[in-house]
This record gives sequence, structure tokens and C-alpha cells, in this order.
Amino acid sequence: MSEAAQTAVKDDTERLETNAVSVHFEGLAALEDLSLSLGKNEVFGLIGPNGSGKTTFVNVVTGFQKPTRGTVLLGGLDVTGWSAHRIGRRGLARTFQAVRLFRELTVIENLEIAAVGMGLGRRQAEKRAFEILAWMAFAHKAYDQADTLPYGEERRVGIGRALATAPRFVLLDEPAAGLTDAECDELMQLISRIPKDFGCGVLLIEHNMRVIMGVCQRIHVIESGKTITEGTPDEIQSNPEVIRAYLGTKSEKRRA
Amino acid sequence: MGSVGPLEKQLRRYWPLLSLAAILFVIVLVVDATGDVLLQRTVADGLIKLIIVVGIYVFMGNSGVLSFGSIVYMMVGAYAAAWMTLLPNLKKFTLPGLPDFLINTQLDPLPALILAGLVAAVVALVVALAIMRTNPIAISIATFAVLAGGYTVYNNWERVTLGTSSIIGLPMYVNMWICFYWALIVMGIAFFYQISRFGLALRASREDPVAAQAFGINIYVQRVIAFTLSGFIVGIAGVLHGHFLGILTVAAFWVPLTFITLAMLVVGGQNSLAGAVVGVVVITAATEVFRQLEKGAEIGSLVLQFPLGIQEIILGVIMLLIMMFRPAGIMGGREIPWPFGRPKPPRAAVTESVEAVEAAKPRAGD
Amino acid sequence: MTFFFQIVIDAVSLGSLYALTALGIGLLFGILRLINFAHGNFITIGAYALIVPSTAVVATPFIGAWAWFLMIPAIIAIVIVVALGTERIAFRPLRGANMSSLLIASFAVSYVLDHVIILIFTGRPKAVNVGAELARHISFLDLRVPAIQLVTIAAAIILLGGLALFLKRTSYGIQMRAAAEDFDTARLLGVRANTVIALAFAISGLLAAVVSLIFITQTGILSFRMSLNLVIVAFISTVIGGIGSLVGAAAGGFLVGVASVVLQTVLPDDYKLTRDAFVFGFVVLVLIFRPDGLIVTRAVRERV
Repeated sequence: MSEAAQTAVKDDTERLETNAVSVHFEGLAALEDLSLSLGKNEVFGLIGPNGSGKTTFVNVVTGFQKPTRGTVLLGGLDVTGWSAHRIGRRGLARTFQAVRLFRELTVIENLEIAAVGMGLGRRQAEKRAFEILAWMAFAHKAYDQADTLPYGEERRVGIGRALATAPRFVLLDEPAAGLTDAECDELMQLISRIPKDFGCGVLLIEHNMRVIMGVCQRIHVIESGKTITEGTPDEIQSNPEVIRAYLGTKSEKRRA
Repeated sequence: MGSVGPLEKQLRRYWPLLSLAAILFVIVLVVDATGDVLLQRTVADGLIKLIIVVGIYVFMGNSGVLSFGSIVYMMVGAYAAAWMTLLPNLKKFTLPGLPDFLINTQLDPLPALILAGLVAAVVALVVALAIMRTNPIAISIATFAVLAGGYTVYNNWERVTLGTSSIIGLPMYVNMWICFYWALIVMGIAFFYQISRFGLALRASREDPVAAQAFGINIYVQRVIAFTLSGFIVGIAGVLHGHFLGILTVAAFWVPLTFITLAMLVVGGQNSLAGAVVGVVVITAATEVFRQLEKGAEIGSLVLQFPLGIQEIILGVIMLLIMMFRPAGIMGGREIPWPFGRPKPPRAAVTESVEAVEAAKPRAGD
Repeated sequence: MTFFFQIVIDAVSLGSLYALTALGIGLLFGILRLINFAHGNFITIGAYALIVPSTAVVATPFIGAWAWFLMIPAIIAIVIVVALGTERIAFRPLRGANMSSLLIASFAVSYVLDHVIILIFTGRPKAVNVGAELARHISFLDLRVPAIQLVTIAAAIILLGGLALFLKRTSYGIQMRAAAEDFDTARLLGVRANTVIALAFAISGLLAAVVSLIFITQTGILSFRMSLNLVIVAFISTVIGGIGSLVGAAAGGFLVGVASVVLQTVLPDDYKLTRDAFVFGFVVLVLIFRPDGLIVTRAVRERV
């Protein structure tokens, strides 16, 4: 285990919770009463077909969208309606569907920025960034400019950047999109090591069923902004409603 | 792989600054040796422009937000220094609008310079607090509105600026070497800011504002910090300008100077300190060459002479061509690279990397 | 009461001039994100085209001596050709460049055109007398209004009305509005970029030509920097009105013109000279409280 893990927040009973979160756009409900809760020792999956409200949910939790109703609790603290940078500082880190690396900066600078954003000085930030890179076996590319990386590695740096903040929770927004099967395997290893090594809960939003079923302890399923069910991978896979809404149709096409 | 000594590490870290300083030093040394007074004045003027451009770069380069208004802080600095350094007897009659404590004091050049820089910084801070919350385009236009507003005020504030007339009699202590020292100091400020956590945070917001916010960066605060620092640097350029010419006119701080300094920055490449410096050097040199050509230059038996005024047209066309074929500027956003290979990550991180891969293997399929 | 109407006419006429200029700039800004400093040169060139090209101190009217029905189309044609020329030579190769490159390019174009004018006409201001009959005042009840103010207002109504009809009713007009709101999407929907952009430059040139005729009739002085303040005000107005909104650009220009005249009237004498500082202060306030301008279009919103 690296030093990175030791600097993580110690209280591992903290939870990330949403209570009856709803978002309405001009009368249309994008999210309706969504409640979920995850702890720091687990990988928690959120799945749903396209347009089911996953992106809206991500934006609410990370402070880019104010919910119409409902609350978001981070370690017991109500952070509903906080600005994105405050939520980030409070200990919720994220990756982006579009990756959004700082493209003209180097890999190590990308990670340093995340640490600096938490209030670390440049030297401490650099040290921390190298620890994370070592943890994910990527130190050899530390000085490469971010926009020269192949797609799969960009995504990996995105996760490293999130972890460099020493987060309480990390939200991964479709990290497997566009990856090859081999890259997916590496990604799954990486994700499943996060709670253990960093004491940090993972909220995983993903389309790829193999990845979701492979790494999550619990999975929450939504459709059209509403909860369908929540359970272990086995329960989800055998739930007829989920199969009807999701597994049987879109996911098969997506994986093909 | 040879072990990397601490000296080499430090050299490498500060190389972007040291290399630029060395280039300027050589230029100044050579020009000093020629003994050509006119050329020395051209270089001094170029170095003052360099300070302005580095000042603009501190905000614009790191934030990616266009700033048209920097020259107003130069004007504020220049006049503030004049108020502090002119002879009290002179001020009593020509600038009766000044408060008594300013009329009665006469500061030495250095304290006046620093105070005037701080005055410019405070004005920039107030402006920044007001405008930095909005979107980048609105900020750009607002900086320009502030320039236009400040220009109008100074142009009509007869009792402290003499309005459209010139203030004369400023102590002329500034020469090429003094400009060079201040250029070095200012480049140092810009460089240390750029590698500080504040500079890094602001550059992150330039690359991707959404991601920067998600990582705890308060873009508003970072922009305010950079804009204030930029105001300080540009203010110092104003002070040097006034004490170099010995005369101050509001009309000097207007669109033409805004244009030429912005053009220098963008032609050199607005995303790096090297770009700012190289842009100034290249355009100053080009202007000087054209000026010589206007006087007529002999190349062998050939006498080449430009018609008067054509140099500006050629300069404009060159800028256009650079924008077309090298939109990121001559330096393309890079600093001057360390000539002896790429940096290596700390060995500990690499060994641990290898261990991490090994450790992960048995767990595959977990 | 008379005084009040005098002020209203002053305000509306200055507002009209600003609105016409702002629209010329706003059109290109909306479509290309180009802050076109060279718009000022379009105006200047329109005015200089009135006289015989020479370095002589005294200006000899050339096109300016023609009958108005020949002079106006000739000036409009010249300015449109210049505008299209800058598009083809300077701005088309920069299509898709970022805002600061475009801005510096327009600065550079403006710099080149400035010095072309200096090369041909010298940098000294020259007096020119065009439309002398418009300088006289028209009396109406107790009001004495300079005819040029009425002409300005009429020109603004005709051009804005005509442009509105063009944008609403014609196919090219609709394409242009779409392009101003969201250029990338518009292209996906089949809007032909080159045509729309060339058309925008042509309209921008038309507006500049009209502004230059009005302006030179009002001031009577040719100088290579004659349009600088006009352009600065207009380009700020564009942003106050709302980026990408053509109605906003015109409204913004109009508003700034009206605000200027009102301030000129209500400010105590000591502050009258710094009127513009108050105008710009007002601009900053608008930007702080409505950063996206008075009229918000899709062009400024960013998706997460």
C-alpha cells in the first residue's frame, strides 16, 4: 500500500447520500425522488439506459446542477446547492465522460492541480501526484503532455487525477466508454483496488455491464429518472424488470 | 542512467527563466558595446514594452481570458509615480488638484516606483473583484470598457493630470540597464507565479474550466489574483516609461499601445513566458530593421530604401501571416526546452510502479 | 417641454448611429466570434473615398461632388468591396481560429488599412464638406432640429427594418440568424458557411458605408482615426446587448447612445467632459449583473 492511502480521511463510517433528489426542467422531470447511499468501503454502481437521468444525477451530486427538491449529504454534511469547487474541496472527486484533462499540461501537472485544488502547496502536491502515478503504474509517462496520450491512458489519468485529491468519495462517469476488452480488465482491477487502498468509496456510472457486474458490490438501477431497484449484481441480473428495461435491449446492442 | 545532482535539478527547474534572462543579457550587452545611443534608447523602450507584455501575459496567458485593458494600469502607475517624484514647487502650480500630502512630498525613485506599482495593483484588484465573476467574453469587453473609461477620466482630470497637455519635468533616471534589471525582476515574478500553485490552478482553468472547478479551484479568486499581479507589473512599466521619457501624456496610453503590446504577446505565443519575451524581441527587432530600411540601407552595391510608412503595413501583414500559419505564436505555448534531455520521474515512483503492476497481477479477476 | 423633445431627438439620433455601427460589428461577432476592429476602417474608408486620393493638405471632393443618388451607391459599393476583400484575404484563412487570434488578426488588418490611408492621404486631418444642405436646421413648432439628425433616424429605421425583413423572410436571412446563434449546428443543418459569411461581411460593409456618410456629414473632418471612438462604443454595445443576438446588438447601441445623451444633460458641468467614463462604468455594471448581456442566446451557454 502506498503513502497516498495513509493521507486519506480516516473516518470510514462516512457515507455519500442523496435523499429524494428531483430535477425538473421546464416542468419535465429529469430525476424523480432518487435516493441512494454508499459507504467508503464499497464500489457502488448506478446504471440506466440513455436518457434515464444519470448525467443529471452526476451534475447534481457534483454541484453543477441545483436540484429542484431533495438533498445531497457528504459525510453527514448537507452540500445541496454548493458550488462545484466547494464540493470538490469537501472530498468528492470525479471523472468526466469527456475525460476533460488539462490538455496542454503534463500528466503530472494534471494530478498536481487536483492536489493543489485541495489546498496543498506545489511540493507536497508533486509528491502526492507521484505516489498516485506509482500506485497506478504510470510514473514513466509523468512528463508527457496530456493531449499526446492515447484514449485509454487519458481515462486512466482522469482517475488518477480524481484520486490525487485524497477524496472521501470518487464518482466515475462512464470510465469504460470506448475502451477495448483488455483495457476494461485493467480498469476493473484499478477500480476494485480504490476502496481498499484509499479508504474511498466509488460511485460508478457505467454502461458496460461486464465492468459493472465485475466490480460493484451493490447496483442501483434507474429508468426515466426513477429508481427501479437496487441490489447485488446477482439480484440485478435476475430482476425481470431490469432485464425488461435495460439488460435485454440497449446493453446488448451496446456491447455488440 | 547518470544520477541527477541537486544542482542540475534546480537548473532544469529554473531553465525557462534563466535561458530568457541570458538571451536578454546578451542583447543588452551587445547593444551597450556598440555605444549607439539611439539604439540603446530603442532597446530600453523595447524592454519597457517587454515588462508590459509580461504583465499582460501573467493574466492573459495563464487564464486564457483576453485582456484589452492592461494599459490603463500602466497609466495609473505612471501618473502615480509622477505625483510622487515631481518637485513640490512645480506640483503646487501645475497640478493643484493633488491632495496636500502628495504636493508636499517628493519620494526617491525606488520607493515611488514600488508604491506606484502598488497603486496600479490596487486599482486592478478593485476592477477584478467587480468583473471576474462573469464569462470570459464579458470580462474581455469589461477590461476594455475600463480602459476607455480610465482614459477619458485622465484626459479630463486637468487638475491632476493636465488633461490633454503633457506633464514635464519627471526625473529621467531610467536607462537601458535599469530597464533590463526591472525586466529581469518582472520575468522572475511572472515565472515564480506561473510555477506556484496559484499559477497552476489558473492554467488548469484555462485548459478546462469545468474540470478545474470540480477539482476545488475557485476560478474567480485565481483570476483576481493574477489580474492584480498583472496590474502591478504593468504599473511598474508605466513608472519606467514616465521616467525614461521625462514627460507624460495621457494620449500615449491608448489603443495603439494596447494593440502593439497585445500583438507582441500573441505573435510570440500567449501561453508561455518565452512567448511573451520572444514576441517583444522579434517585433522590436523587425520594427528597428524596417526603420533602418526607411533611412536607406546599402547591401553591396544595392541601395534598398522603403517608402515612408510602408514598414507598418509590412508589420501588419507579418502578424496576419503568423496568425494564419502559427496561431499558437512563434513559441507555440512552450517554454525554452532544457537542452539535455527530458526530465525523469523520481526513481522511487518508478520502482513502486513496477511493484504495483506485479502486485496487481495475482488479483486479476478479483 | 421643447428642451425635452430636443433631448429626445438628440438621444434617438445618437442611439441610431451607435445601433447601426453596433449591428455591423455584432453581425460578424455573432457568426465568427470576430471582434472586428477593422469595422472602423470600413467607416473611415467610406469617408475618404469621397475625396481625390492625394497627399495634398486641402481635400478635393471626388465622389463627394457627385449627386447624392450616385454618391451613396458608389460609397456603399466601395466599402462592401473592401469588407469582402478583408474577408477573403485575411479572415477566411483564419476560419475556426480562437478569439484572440481573430482579434489580433482584425487588429492587424485595421493597422494595415490605417497605414494604407496614411500612405495615400497622409495622417493629417482634412476638412471635407459633404451634404452641406443637411447641416441646416429644420424648424418645427418651437423645435429647431438639424436635418442630419432626422436623416440619421430615418436611415436607422429603414436599414434596421430592411435587415429585420431580410433576416425573417428570406432564406439567406434565416440561415444567417441560425449561424449567429450557433454556427456549428447551423453548418450541420446545411447552412453554407462561405455564402453566409460573405453576406454578413457585405451587410456589415453596407452598414459601415451608411454610418460613414452620416458621420462625415456631421463632423466634416476626415482623419484616419475618425471612427475609433464610434467603434469602441459599438463593440461594447454588442456585448451589452447579448452576444449573438442581432436585436441585442442594435438595442445595446441604441441604449448606450441614449444613456450618453441623458448623462450629458443631467451631469453637472464639472463632470460633463468625463461623460464617457460614466457610460463605460454603466457598461461594466450591466456586464456584472447580466454577464450574458440583455438578451441571452444559446451561443453563450456551455454544457457540462
